[in-house]
Amino acid sequence: MTATQKRIIINKLALAFSTLSAVIALAFLFWILGVLVMKGVDALSWNIFIFEGSPPGYAESGLKHALVGQLILVGLATLIGVPLGIMAGTYLSEYGKNSKLAHTIRDISDIMMSAPSIVIGAFVYAVIVMPMGHFSAWAGAIALAIIMIPVILRTTDDMLQLVPGTLREAAFALGAPKYKVIIDIVYRGAKAGILTGVLLGIARVGGETAPLLFTSFNDNFFTTDLNEAMPSLTVTMFNYAISPYDDWQQLGWAAAFILSMFILGLNIVGRLILLAGKRK
Amino acid sequence: MASIIDIKEECALQVRNFDFTYKGAPAPSLKKVTMPIAKNSVTALIGPSGCGKTTLLRSFNRMHDLYPGNKYEGEIEFEGRNILDPKEDLIHLRTKIGMIFQKPTAFPMSIFDNVAYGMRLQGIKNKTELNDRVEKALQDAALWKEVSDRLKNDANGLSGGQQQRLCIARAIAVEPEVLLFDEPTSALDPISTQGIEKLVIELKERVSIIIVTHNMQQAARVSDYTGFMYLGDLIELGHTEELFVTPKEKLTQEYITGKFG
Repeated sequence: MTATQKRIIINKLALAFSTLSAVIALAFLFWILGVLVMKGVDALSWNIFIFEGSPPGYAESGLKHALVGQLILVGLATLIGVPLGIMAGTYLSEYGKNSKLAHTIRDISDIMMSAPSIVIGAFVYAVIVMPMGHFSAWAGAIALAIIMIPVILRTTDDMLQLVPGTLREAAFALGAPKYKVIIDIVYRGAKAGILTGVLLGIARVGGETAPLLFTSFNDNFFTTDLNEAMPSLTVTMFNYAISPYDDWQQLGWAAAFILSMFILGLNIVGRLILLAGKRK
Repeated sequence: MASIIDIKEECALQVRNFDFTYKGAPAPSLKKVTMPIAKNSVTALIGPSGCGKTTLLRSFNRMHDLYPGNKYEGEIEFEGRNILDPKEDLIHLRTKIGMIFQKPTAFPMSIFDNVAYGMRLQGIKNKTELNDRVEKALQDAALWKEVSDRLKNDANGLSGGQQQRLCIARAIAVEPEVLLFDEPTSALDPISTQGIEKLVIELKERVSIIIVTHNMQQAARVSDYTGFMYLGDLIELGHTEELFVTPKEKLTQEYITGKFG
């Protein structure tokens, strides 16, 4: 065998192994999605959107309480986390730049991004739930917001830095004050990127269970009171899935399916926006 | 050693003993520059890369202030005051001394909003006035005919040459006294370049122009006065024709005949 033949064989083997690995890795993703769709679609029915939770064995039971609770929790977290994340990212990109403080904030934010979410739940339990004396939607939303902030902060920082410096200079050269340059030029230039960061941030917290366990806790009934424990899809799914009752387990599958589609949708929309922004 | 002509006409700007030092640099990048800038004329700055011509240009609208730690010394007189004074109102100064950059800098908004941007910053909200002035600025920048039917379109859809003329329209819309051009055609094709050069010559009726260029032919074509800079010194300032035909300094002669640079 010549050296060339040997090289060609090694090349083919390497290609075959790496392709196989990629296929195996992806296969799990599609397997998970497949199981979810099969079990989830099976468990879906209009009842799910009409009825709230009930004791096992009742036909008229659904997930309305958890769906609405989930939307309230994530919505509230978005209202808290998005402005903070965008403003902090703006500070880093437009004011802090390469200062020591800015680098420290970036490092801390990166560490926070990989912090176990249950620890953040425990933290919020200690500083909000304990003093208040009871679980609340506020506590859950704040825990989710804390997880969301570093994601939005870093994407905002990165996206703002992609706006060319000459564009800022051109605005300054027309006599624009700094805040005007940021709002009119920098934000506008980076809006697709910022929006993507926000959507990915929402998707990141949308599937969180652990930080809600000690904060918004759960409830089997419909509520919109932010000062009370609030049901969420994730915790409901957890509770129903470990229950011994068939109908509850079915609802658990439905919750898993709805949640996955919601987050998958957010991710896809986020990426599409970014792609459309790049093409321009 | 420098040979600086005495300008008899009225001056738009007067630079005296001007030193500029970048943050952390051991030595100044501009050394004791003294030069008059004639009103309603085009002054070109030429010289090899790194000679300080862009640094000087960016001092006239205090662009260096965007990056902390840079140091100005000496004097640049404009409208009877020293604009290097730390108390100078930079927002006001930059509406009086506009700038066109090397690469077109169309803002991510419509063509109309681009041109109206500077006027809106000054608080002009009246729609009729905005419309009139946008149209006039676009006409003066020789762009009106090409864009009049699509003012609402995204400015980034224009070609490079059109975008550069848009930037000129945006700058003249606020009616500045001085316009600074930083190699405005280096990113453009020859035909667009021709258009910009024609515009520069027309605009001097209304504004005083300083243009930095690495292209000596361009300096010869558009300018009334030319300054040759080398290693942070202004070596020679003269009438463009005289400087290119009978330079007074040996360095100038060597540069324009292509011995270095």
